[in-house]
Amino acid sequence: MKKNLLVDIGSTYFKVCDGEDIQQHFRDFNKDIFDDLKYKCADIIEKYKKEEVFICSSANGGLSTLIIGITNSFSLKYATNIAFNSGINIIDTVLYQNIKNSSIPSDLIDVVIITGGIDSVSDIFNEDLFTYLEQVNYSNIVYVGNENDAKFLSQNIKNLVVLPNIITNKLQVNENELKEYLTNLYQADIEGKEDIKHLYNITSNQIYSTPYIVNRTLPLINNMFKVADPFILVDIGGATTDIHYSTTLVNDNMVKNNEYDRLVFKKLGVYKSKESLIYAAKNNEFVYELLAHMNVTENIFQEDSDKALRTLMKLAIFLVLYKVSEAHPLYVHLKLDLLKSIVLTGGITKVLKQEEAEDIVGFFYKKILNTTIKPNIVLDSNYEIWTLGITQ
Amino acid sequence: MSLLQEEREIIVRNEYADNFDFAEIEEFVKNASKNLFISHTFKNSKKMLVQPRGGFPTYKKQFALNEFFVNANVDVLPLTIDSNTRLNDYAMSKKMLRLSEENDVDMLNGYPLVNHGYRTTRKMITHFDKPVSLRHGTPDARLLIETAIASGIFEIEGGPITYLLPYSKNFPLDKAFLYWKYVERICANYSKLNEPINRESFGPLTATLVPPCVTIVIQLLEMLLSLEEGVKSFSVSFSQSGSVNQDIVTSAVLKKMARYYAEQINCGDADIHLVYHQWMGAFPSNKDYSESLINTATVIASLVGADKIITKTRDEAFGIPTKEANAKTVANTQYTLRILNGLPNIVDKEEEEILEAEVKSIMEAVLNDSADTLWRKVFNSIKNGIIDVPFSPHIINNNEVVTVRDANKNIRIIKRGKLPISDRCFEYEKSKCDLNKDATSIVNDIIHDIGIMQ
Repeated sequence: MKKNLLVDIGSTYFKVCDGEDIQQHFRDFNKDIFDDLKYKCADIIEKYKKEEVFICSSANGGLSTLIIGITNSFSLKYATNIAFNSGINIIDTVLYQNIKNSSIPSDLIDVVIITGGIDSVSDIFNEDLFTYLEQVNYSNIVYVGNENDAKFLSQNIKNLVVLPNIITNKLQVNENELKEYLTNLYQADIEGKEDIKHLYNITSNQIYSTPYIVNRTLPLINNMFKVADPFILVDIGGATTDIHYSTTLVNDNMVKNNEYDRLVFKKLGVYKSKESLIYAAKNNEFVYELLAHMNVTENIFQEDSDKALRTLMKLAIFLVLYKVSEAHPLYVHLKLDLLKSIVLTGGITKVLKQEEAEDIVGFFYKKILNTTIKPNIVLDSNYEIWTLGITQ
Repeated sequence: MSLLQEEREIIVRNEYADNFDFAEIEEFVKNASKNLFISHTFKNSKKMLVQPRGGFPTYKKQFALNEFFVNANVDVLPLTIDSNTRLNDYAMSKKMLRLSEENDVDMLNGYPLVNHGYRTTRKMITHFDKPVSLRHGTPDARLLIETAIASGIFEIEGGPITYLLPYSKNFPLDKAFLYWKYVERICANYSKLNEPINRESFGPLTATLVPPCVTIVIQLLEMLLSLEEGVKSFSVSFSQSGSVNQDIVTSAVLKKMARYYAEQINCGDADIHLVYHQWMGAFPSNKDYSESLINTATVIASLVGADKIITKTRDEAFGIPTKEANAKTVANTQYTLRILNGLPNIVDKEEEEILEAEVKSIMEAVLNDSADTLWRKVFNSIKNGIIDVPFSPHIINNNEVVTVRDANKNIRIIKRGKLPISDRCFEYEKSKCDLNKDATSIVNDIIHDIGIMQ
């Protein structure tokens, strides 16, 4: 039996791993998460000391960030990568040269990240930055750009946190300090949320974001499944769909500690983001062929049935693969033709069967990549991948 | 089914590759002619083996090239793979192969092995019944190596460091280690069926002012990574440096250290061979000078006691050499080897002692890294600059080591970056050079030294 109790709080389910046994429970939204957990699993929780309980959570939606940088190839890309891998959701990125004409995000931004330039450059930023920031509603702001401009920005931006530059003089990425800052911010955010902070009654360990934990799991995935590299892990949940992908699949000019990166699709969840998922589907040129392939009509979108849920799950798989394929050149492009395995996890594993997942991936490969060869599909049918990374 | 076999089934599932029949391939390897195994040839040959380079896109041209080589008395046939296949872009190599076949123009710079498939290629390999060396430069060579061995190619060049740092900018190094680990395990498994599959590291690296200690350390580490997976026949290699004395010293230390470290991991039963590359830098445009350079390399290969020499051609400065130029260089090298008799045994104790100390210091730092596996220790060491290859394009390489030639053309370290060599060794290196010049003159010296044979 394992020594630890592992808990993952999701937006729809929570999962409890007690020894080898994993239980999943639908959230009761009329109850506080802690009360709900205690009600359903009191006998399990009582068996463990606080230091033996490890919890991760994606239930509070995570932190949102806005990134301002000076180049798409370096500062913006590096900061985006660090934010995603820290489990942070990115609302928007602003290329500094376009800042005067950039739209102002309407949402409250949890953290604004400003970056740009190697340490030997200076005088990158001017009044335009301050004018823009005055219009943004944000809670935290951090500067991780060239050190020469740090003083100027500190004098003009209230509560600015200054951390070491994320770009080294060799144009390599320095991710540690920003990653730690964002992870701690997530922790503080959790502590500030009534719903989650009570969970500290049962654990003395830090509560991390679930995507961060899943990312840490990936190098260990072969302990649980037979997955040939390069692979992607698609986590289709109630609120979002995440892709964690092997960095071999991108032409990247970054050197990082982690060999896997993450992208989050906030509008491709099947419960909380159902409407936006349907909207994205309806705007996809292949979706009607896909619906025909699944032997359903678009009326399925109005239904509230198991069949409709399965259709949404399949759409989420298709749309997320589509978005990172060559067919969608404006987004991150993964070399899907090199892909050897797709691991599916999240709520989807409770809904789709192996053959249904294979069918939809087969459709994608045939229709978009024009090949009958498709990657190996691995279904994390017990939804236990997160248990590998949580105690790391 | 074993986990490795499950992984193999996934790897070979590719629309551009043959359908793999593993049972048939195993039967083929088990019964394959021993003449196809370079490990067998190494054991039974009393002479240095001569191997050219070469690869053409179409089967017809590759077959003709091999015929030329056999007539020129080649010992080991090459199969150089095209650059699209090296990057796993089999779709493009298929397209270019078609164009090459239709128009009789070479649209690829090598043989697209995956597209030709193992069933076709095996006919050629078994027809000539000579060992074939696969030369490619691929970080993810898993499908390529499966195809090669199924074709009857039992000598595989490359490694996670030597096929990445000189050739690639972005490919993740940690992934390269894992993909090559797969290759080693496949080679080790097939080795149990007949003679051992030989693995060969690529010592020339960037071929640009690489200090011998760095070359040797990388050779040793790729050898250890291979042996720990069960490979029983391994070739370490290096290329002509420009200094005869330094090549002799490099060879002595490399051979001694390879044996020493193999025994350290209880792999002393493995056969270890030495391969010498003729000049890998820029060639002179005067073809007569090129021939002289090639002949000098052959003499040095004899002096260092190489088991195999890999040749260049007189046309090197002008693009991909023709089959005629390739065959000519094989014949000339064989002739030079035949007339080289009674060469002196040259020993430079001081240089050997310094070089050995440098190698041991770097190896110690690598092996003392806190990671739990050898490949991750090596990965960390490259990332930290403990191993640093001058002029490597890869973004992970530290690029802080600076080298220059001394008056005798020996490559010397004048800026050690994070290489953990002792102060005594570093002072020795610098003492051989004139560093009292201004910085511009030293930079000009380095630029001159890069093109030393031009």
